[in-house]
Amino acid sequence: MTRARQVHRRAVGSALALSVPAMILLLLIFAVPLLRLLALSIEGGSLAAYEKALGSELYVQVFLGTFKIATLVTLLTLAMGYPVAYLMATSGRAWQFLGIAFVLLPFWTSILVRTYAWMVLLGRNGVINRTLVSWGVIDTPLPLLNNEAAVLIGMVHVLLPYMILPIFSAVRKVDPTLVLAAEGLGASRLQAFLRVTLPLTMNGVVAGITLVFTLSLGFFITPALLGGGRVVMIANLIEEQVRELLNWAFAGALSTILLVLTLAAFWGISRLARTRPA
Amino acid sequence: MPLRRMKRRDALIGAGAAALAVRPAFGQAEPQRPGQIVVNASGGSMNRAMRKAYFDAFEKDTGIRVVETSPVDLGKLKAMVASGNVEWNLTEIGGQDGALVQRLGLVDKIDPKVVDRSGYPKEAQNEYLFASSVYSTVLAYRTDAFAPGKQPTGWAEFWDVKRFPGPRSMRNHPVDNLEFALLADGVPADKLYPIDMDRAFKKLDEIKPHVNVWWTTGQQPAQLLLDKEVVLATGWNGRFYDLMKKEAPIAVEWKEGSLKQGTFVIPKGAKDPYWSNKMLAYMSDPKRQAIYANELGYPGLNLASIKYIDPKAAPHMPTHPDNLPKQFWLSAAWWDENMEKSLDRWKQWLLRK
Repeated sequence: MTRARQVHRRAVGSALALSVPAMILLLLIFAVPLLRLLALSIEGGSLAAYEKALGSELYVQVFLGTFKIATLVTLLTLAMGYPVAYLMATSGRAWQFLGIAFVLLPFWTSILVRTYAWMVLLGRNGVINRTLVSWGVIDTPLPLLNNEAAVLIGMVHVLLPYMILPIFSAVRKVDPTLVLAAEGLGASRLQAFLRVTLPLTMNGVVAGITLVFTLSLGFFITPALLGGGRVVMIANLIEEQVRELLNWAFAGALSTILLVLTLAAFWGISRLARTRPA
Repeated sequence: MPLRRMKRRDALIGAGAAALAVRPAFGQAEPQRPGQIVVNASGGSMNRAMRKAYFDAFEKDTGIRVVETSPVDLGKLKAMVASGNVEWNLTEIGGQDGALVQRLGLVDKIDPKVVDRSGYPKEAQNEYLFASSVYSTVLAYRTDAFAPGKQPTGWAEFWDVKRFPGPRSMRNHPVDNLEFALLADGVPADKLYPIDMDRAFKKLDEIKPHVNVWWTTGQQPAQLLLDKEVVLATGWNGRFYDLMKKEAPIAVEWKEGSLKQGTFVIPKGAKDPYWSNKMLAYMSDPKRQAIYANELGYPGLNLASIKYIDPKAAPHMPTHPDNLPKQFWLSAAWWDENMEKSLDRWKQWLLRK
């Protein structure tokens, strides 16, 4: 017991020692700028920037809208990503390789290129509308682009790999004999999935949700281009304050509020995951 | 070979001088030549035109390489000046931001001994702001959507969705749009300022359901027209000129266009300020301004440059005698005072269903 504890302690000690360079780097390039941002937002010891952000209908509305979009994107990527990840993890090597290639190739393509590709596909004279019109399915082009739906499509496409990859690695770690055992004990396939596979892959799901949700909160190029200006994310307003109005105190306050809300959401997600029956 | 070595040595001396913060002496003697200067501008076709009109000649004459960066970014300018690490020797800024950069002390004075602007109109000789060119936000439309003689002229007709049906695109920004709304509502061009915001937004309510795309980048409206995504759009005249040169079915209406000037500044604390000024001297040369204008449709402010502009390109210039009197000058002063307020209200208005 004491021996085991010693070994454990030594392992923790060396892990800590090894992480020192990374910690210093993070401190310098992440924590310090973050604190400076915070300091910027309370310039002159005044909370006026926060008052403006939380007291104005516009900013509250945009914060709510941003969280709504992030939630929708997360749910959609989860619904679409889990089956793909499951299929990839449980199929043969060749299929697995092909699956990973299909997930990773778009992942490595520039986000701008992919956003423009969606504009070409969804436009009033885009590929989809032209095809449907020429087949006689519709007479007038469908409004596919420049609305919230287009933004959701574009964001889901960009963020899907962040959901698939963690779930894929979680499913791969599940011992297939456990599922066989459950089925051998009389569980239906659905029951075996819900009570064995799903709980065992929950860490992958939580990782995927966390990644997609937090990344969604900071999106702005895709919404600006696919939303036709109608979808405003909080990142758009922060960018405007930084680059156009040069009001860095206010930009700092908006960023700080976004950070706090993101951390709260992060905490909520991990709590939710823990209270699930294992 | 010895020539090349010379240049390298010059570059080293230049860099050393900058590092030691040795102030180059002004006056008769020309200060040390740095290896390169950095000019920051909008990028794209504009940078290509600047290279053709100004940069190539500057490099050839001085041996100093001109490094182009983009995009225009006020936030970056502020950060550079605040940190004391100013990478740009010159940067373009938005036409409406001239007062802001002076108020925040982000710019250095232009040296009148190096940059001769005697050929400029008096109003365009600000001691901190170099007016590089004139551009205009104009109405553009697809020529195949409206028969000849039935083409839209002015903002009241842009607003008239019965006579001129079809989706439209406008900039996702209050600048220009508030003016256009008031003009559409019958306010005379000389009575636009101070802007009656309530009246402008009320008029914008009418057009809102017909605006398909609220554009954010300058290339968008031209592309939207080309793709038939919209049939009417507001946009910067040079972007449409570029397509019209390639014979796209697009035309520009100059009536009630919104004139403003492209502006370059020397960031406060920029290295080798003499050479920043020298570049501005190249950019104020009337013959070179004409080369730039022929390329882009953005004429310079040296009044003598009109003589050198290609007669085929001249009708596409906002300053052409046929076009100039139809337009109005955007008030940079009003926007400087009201930008934040209008932007907030604009966003709120846009989000309202």
